[in-house]
Amino acid sequence: MDFKQIKEIISAACTKYGVEEYEVTYSVGENISAETLKDEISAFSSGESASVSFRCIVNGHMGYASTSYFDADEIEDLVIRASDNARAIENDDVVVIFKGSESYGTPTAPAPEAIDAAELKNKALELQKKTYAADSSVVDGTQSIAISFRDEIYMYNSHGLELSNKVGMTGCYVEAVVNKDGESRNNFEFAESIHGEKFDELPAKAVNGALEKIGATEIPTGKYNVVIDGSQMRSILSAFSPSFSAKNAILGMSLLAGKEGEKIASDIVNITDDAMREGCPVQTPFDEEGVATYKKSVVENGVLKTLLYDLTTAIKTGKQTTANGRRGGNIAPYNFAINAGEDTLEGLFAKAGDGIYVTGVKGLHAGANAITGDFSVESEGFLIKDGKKAGPIKSFTVAGNFFALLKSIDSLSNEVKWGIPGGFTVFGAPDVLVKDMSVAGK
Amino acid sequence: MIISRLILEDVLAVAMSTGADFAEVYAERTRNNGIRFLNGKIDTANDGVTSGVGIRAFIGTRTVYATTTDITRSGLIRCARAVADALGESNAQVQIHLTERIFPNIHPVKILPGSTPMQTRTDILKSACFAASERDEKIKQVMGSLASVDHTILIANSEGLYTSDRHVRTRIAVQAVASDGHENQSGSASPGRGTGLEMFDFIDPKSVGIKAADQALVNLRADYCPAGQMTVAIENGFGGVIFHEACGHSLEATSVGTGTSQMCGKLGQKIANEKVTAIDDGTIPGAWGSVNIDDEGHVTQRNVLIENGVLKSYMIDRLGSRRMGMEMTGNGRRESFMYEPTSRMTNTFIANGPDKNEDIISSIEYGLYAKSMGGGSVNPLTGEFNFGVSEGYIIRNGVICEPVRGASLVGTGSQILMDIDMVGQNLETAQGMCGSSSGSVPTDVGQPLIRVSKITVGGR
Repeated sequence: MDFKQIKEIISAACTKYGVEEYEVTYSVGENISAETLKDEISAFSSGESASVSFRCIVNGHMGYASTSYFDADEIEDLVIRASDNARAIENDDVVVIFKGSESYGTPTAPAPEAIDAAELKNKALELQKKTYAADSSVVDGTQSIAISFRDEIYMYNSHGLELSNKVGMTGCYVEAVVNKDGESRNNFEFAESIHGEKFDELPAKAVNGALEKIGATEIPTGKYNVVIDGSQMRSILSAFSPSFSAKNAILGMSLLAGKEGEKIASDIVNITDDAMREGCPVQTPFDEEGVATYKKSVVENGVLKTLLYDLTTAIKTGKQTTANGRRGGNIAPYNFAINAGEDTLEGLFAKAGDGIYVTGVKGLHAGANAITGDFSVESEGFLIKDGKKAGPIKSFTVAGNFFALLKSIDSLSNEVKWGIPGGFTVFGAPDVLVKDMSVAGK
Repeated sequence: MIISRLILEDVLAVAMSTGADFAEVYAERTRNNGIRFLNGKIDTANDGVTSGVGIRAFIGTRTVYATTTDITRSGLIRCARAVADALGESNAQVQIHLTERIFPNIHPVKILPGSTPMQTRTDILKSACFAASERDEKIKQVMGSLASVDHTILIANSEGLYTSDRHVRTRIAVQAVASDGHENQSGSASPGRGTGLEMFDFIDPKSVGIKAADQALVNLRADYCPAGQMTVAIENGFGGVIFHEACGHSLEATSVGTGTSQMCGKLGQKIANEKVTAIDDGTIPGAWGSVNIDDEGHVTQRNVLIENGVLKSYMIDRLGSRRMGMEMTGNGRRESFMYEPTSRMTNTFIANGPDKNEDIISSIEYGLYAKSMGGGSVNPLTGEFNFGVSEGYIIRNGVICEPVRGASLVGTGSQILMDIDMVGQNLETAQGMCGSSSGSVPTDVGQPLIRVSKITVGGR
């Protein structure tokens, strides 16, 4: 069954049941992953998937239904189920099916390549071999994985708006496990490609990262100058990103409610959301309501310029949508990052003098409260002594409040470290220096 | 049956055609229903059907897995061909005969949520949420959800197994936000069962809302938890997340079978205080983590993992069984056909011990009473874990005193197992969704009140 047939069944069903305003989205994707253990491919997987999401307005409310069971009766049933769901809704949101933006951007990311299973397997094996060769302390449990995916999205609505997009990515991971002096440590690294410098450097980076952690000591509880690595700062940003949703603000679930135009961070902090970021493998010219995406300043010189809106929250507050609408009435950012500053990482160490460098935080999903901004996370990293990176440290907990943290950012490094795309969302941050943070150690 | 026996015999034969020594087809059709409550009203209602197939084949411990949502005969054959092509180069003629098998159903369902009128479900959810908002004028926001999953699976494999099972689960969740005008604090409660709406014959929805509201109110008047090493008493129910994270994951074949677990090679050894007996039991009728058969078609069972401190068993799926040379334990699970199964927990808990609960509290001169735990995570290689305390109190001179917030417990699995030096007698389980390489699956955690002699408390 293809999108044309699905549209025909839906359109006939909507006429039959008197549904006038609706939207149907068809997604089709494929993915491949090759995993190694020891010196062979231990697991290989491939997948083809397709699904249909339908939403419609009945009695002024939006109802949703979806399926991946491609049967004519089931597709027709989507209209009935979504209508029933709409009838159950009681909120006073004004909901709309979007008529279309004037124009839409064109992704600059190269069209996703066809996935070659044999090449992926070879790349995973090559990584694994190089990882073992990188150091004699590398032990079994070390794993190299190469992955690739392609997704296509087609959207059609009752105003005649038709949009489509194709994205894809090929990348690889190495988890190096080392054992030295009876101590095991692991380290995980990712590259957004299976070619070039980043790919070539991955095994050594993974192994060195694990080796550096050997012999970690514990530190006493106290206040420290903390340099948070960009890879960890972006995780913290991710955990608190729901605070930037206008929906959460309206519901009183965000401390950023009513703060637009106000200072929420130190002067050097700029936060940008850009669905079409140059270099991002999952660029999207339209959000999941069909609105054209654009690059926006969310925080500029410490001032909150705008929250993230979809059509419903924009109507409710008399604002414009920021094209951050997601299916199911949710709001989420795309490429959401703290912009780079001026210092080098070494420069941040020098400014910190004595302190700690946090290279790993864990348990953010449990130790961070997006409503209050409080976080308390188990961390690992390195000491900073006399302005330079020193020995490894472990089992300490960094605690604070995200909103207080934004205000106390002292300096930023000059490189944004981007994370792995999760759907269409990617977080990024430079390394940051924050003075006098609470750290619980031994 | 989602797919006929004759088609599956052909599909398995194709999957085996390049030298596989085992092949399996997993098909599912799952109906998810969910309603959400927000701002005093029903806010969204969703309904989704997931349908698809995963085909897996082994040569020794090498596996290939392919999935498709095209469940026509030609779609399935194409998927099986992808598996065969990726696995080997030899040419094998294989004849498969499937024999249908029906396993006993120990989890009967009285009221299938998806077939009840919408009003029945919205009434239950509203009752829970209004109980929270009416609890105190400081409760400024209440969010709630009622979700049900109706999961039909089919498993066929080259050993001749052809069977299906249907599993239904229901969960209600309430999150309450309390505010005093200066700051917000939240509390939550989210019980679930492996049953239909009859779970509300035993759990009053109002009690769920009240629990969430009370927790938010306590946290509002709580000060930040002091940091440092302390003696900690961890309460029953979701307190069991400590065992789940700190030990349970390290006993899964996923990490044991690949040599990345601290528990490798420790069967028969003392790994915990002798007061600790821990069990994984997928057979508890109607429990959140129970199923009749696992996602590899193996009946679930009761596995004693640790008995009086001695390691007795791991949790082993089919691949783990091959890697470790040990029997499967009915723990092969996956979120959906999109995931290759691996060893996962079902209902995992520390059994009741010898100590009276009041003795545990009165034994602590200064420490933390973790009444309610949040989620957490663990590195199975090192056993290092971290999890949040969602409701905690300081214990002073054997008495539970003022509430504290923002605490987390940080340690390593091997150490805390030894440091659990008192085990109480009020075993209770609580529900969670556990995430791992085979996706998110429902699991129960549980324990009675326990005492940990010393652990790092993260606070400020």
